[in-house]
Amino acid sequence: MSMSKEDNNSFHSQLSSHLFSDLLDSLIIDVASECHRVARLGLDRNLEEEEEELRLSAQARVMVADSSSNCETNSKYTTDIFGQTHPAVASEIFECMNCGRSIVAGRFAPHLEKCMGKGRKARMKLTRSSTATQQRQSRGSPNSSYTPYMNSSSNVHYSNSRVSNGTSGMMMDEYQKSSTEPTEGTSEESR
Amino acid sequence: MSTKTQRYTTPQPCPHLSDYRAKHGLKGYRVLQKCLKFGPLGKTSIKREQNQIPKCSFCLKSHGRLFVCLICANVSCCGSPNSNHAHLHSRSEVGHEIAVDIERAELFCCVCCDQVYDPEFDMTVMFAQIMVLPKAINGGSEYSSKRRKIDYKQWVPNSRELLLMQRGSSPLGNSCFPWGLRGLNNLGNTCFMNSVLQALLHTPPLRNYFLSDRHNRKLCQKSSPSGLCLACDMDAIFSAVFSGDRKPYSPAKFLYSWWQHAANLASYEQQDAHEFFMSMLDGIHEREERDQRGPRTDGNGDCYCVAHRVFSGVLRSDVTCTVCGFTSTTYDPCVDISLDLDPYYGGSSMVTDKSLGKGSGTSTLIGCLDRFTRPEKLGSDQKFFCQNCQIRQESLKQMSIRRLPLVLCFHIKRFEHSSIRNMSKKVDRYLQFPFSLDMAPYLSSSIIRNRFGNRIFIFEGDEPDACSDSSSEFELFAVVTHTGKLEAGHYVTYLRLRNQWYKCDDAWITQVSERVVRASQGYMMYYVQKMFYYKASDDLSSLPEQNHRS
Repeated sequence: MSMSKEDNNSFHSQLSSHLFSDLLDSLIIDVASECHRVARLGLDRNLEEEEEELRLSAQARVMVADSSSNCETNSKYTTDIFGQTHPAVASEIFECMNCGRSIVAGRFAPHLEKCMGKGRKARMKLTRSSTATQQRQSRGSPNSSYTPYMNSSSNVHYSNSRVSNGTSGMMMDEYQKSSTEPTEGTSEESR
Repeated sequence: MSTKTQRYTTPQPCPHLSDYRAKHGLKGYRVLQKCLKFGPLGKTSIKREQNQIPKCSFCLKSHGRLFVCLICANVSCCGSPNSNHAHLHSRSEVGHEIAVDIERAELFCCVCCDQVYDPEFDMTVMFAQIMVLPKAINGGSEYSSKRRKIDYKQWVPNSRELLLMQRGSSPLGNSCFPWGLRGLNNLGNTCFMNSVLQALLHTPPLRNYFLSDRHNRKLCQKSSPSGLCLACDMDAIFSAVFSGDRKPYSPAKFLYSWWQHAANLASYEQQDAHEFFMSMLDGIHEREERDQRGPRTDGNGDCYCVAHRVFSGVLRSDVTCTVCGFTSTTYDPCVDISLDLDPYYGGSSMVTDKSLGKGSGTSTLIGCLDRFTRPEKLGSDQKFFCQNCQIRQESLKQMSIRRLPLVLCFHIKRFEHSSIRNMSKKVDRYLQFPFSLDMAPYLSSSIIRNRFGNRIFIFEGDEPDACSDSSSEFELFAVVTHTGKLEAGHYVTYLRLRNQWYKCDDAWITQVSERVVRASQGYMMYYVQKMFYYKASDDLSSLPEQNHRS
């Protein structure tokens, strides 16, 4: 009955280790039983195929790492499979469907952004809905609260002559925008 | 039942089990049925009093696996091949060969010393379990997806169609490269758009749809002249790309249309390719919705538009109360599956590691899918209101795929946005993805079955004819990769055409070997069902001529 402190401790630790090993066994048998059922019922995944894919990927990574140190694969100045070469910035020229100007393909997106009045700079201003744009157009007043491209101090009268390509000054863009409005005449602009 | 129906193969019973069944039929099972106890999370065991500890009748211990004989209810243990008291019992009593594992309700043959399976036993267990399972008051949501499926038949033109084609078209001539392979010009940070467009141009059902003139842009524009229609712009791109002209094409009109549709994304800065993909599908869908005068959905409530017909699947979400086992199920449509990369664990750049797979620390797509469908314990601050218990309880949530789309798009969440610090960063970790993928383990039917211990039983969601392997097997055909940093990165798409891989880097199309694709940093992966099925639709005009006659 009278156990020394050490005996007591070792008894407790034995008990707890028994308990632990029972729990562990139970867990292991749970997993084993489930896996056994899955395997017997043919529900298991096709592990061979999965391992094959993993092996191929690992192999591929090694080979690619080796070969890329030898030759440059990423250069944009290569010839494509059709035997064509292309400049870094796409050089095709076509008409902008918003304003009608001829634009270089590689610079189309930045042009369109300003042309459509979208983008960060335009969005910084309060209202930029198409109705607001139309209102501004019809009023003809260069209200600077709408777009940064409306320079209120510009009292320049635009003639109907074509503006040369390539100039992307803010005022020019504004001119271009208004010239596409089918209902507006240039008279709106001259105030 | 030895064939592979319902995805199981019922194994042949051992002679002892056959004997038992021949002699006793289902009597023993029926008796046992009354003694079963079901845990809230699917664990089945034999009922016993709390203070009653089963002991082996031979060694009087409670270690290891304990079995109760089906005939005399004698308890014995089987610790190891040396200490197999269950076997002793079968020897001492003739015919007492089959027992049941007390903790797991699994049949055990004491002579073969192995777990054995009987569909009737499983059915008995399941019936009992279903009776006990708490049910929703309103009967719960049943997803009825009775889709009649018609096998894919290749279309062959009849003589009239042949004549029509000969008169109305001119052949492209020969090319040693597949048609539809054409570079796309970068219009200024638009590689995100080009990469997704390349993948879509070669998405088989989408390509077939547009090349079969199913969305004729001239007719569409005629019916609504000023309308914005992304499908028309897609049609134009398809025509251009498959025209045989190999000079890089500028998808300028498409950009213009898309910016009108997605005003918030319209700016000259690099966008997220996935966001673009979502926005584009939405644009195609929206226009379709506006145009359809007839019913916009078919009998099942599925959308008719091509975007959804190709990409839309259904996800199932189950929330289970951990106390009573009541499960609340919801179904949500999805057009892609976004997967988290596994959380950081050190040193995953083990290119030279010889050991395979999970052991070496490589992240895999399969691993992500496993994580996506694994039961997740909702935090104690997210207690779910259990209808059965009528209070908030801790719950488990589990996702699964109720219906697979025709084309599966996986999006890997590589861009982490931290709202706290208002900054984003990119996760560059390599993710292994297979070229062939079997989605069967992630289907709702598989997940639910697994939740109930994989018993041999017809579960809700098992479609009788749809369980054939082919409908869940997918093939990779496009990979959109991202290299570089978050702000200054570049998208490139790899396409698989005629079993050859091509790299589509804006205007530059080059041929690459399979290993380059395997080693690439996948951001979006597109898989297509290995075998197509045509969905039976009421609108017979959408079927190829062959099916009319059959």
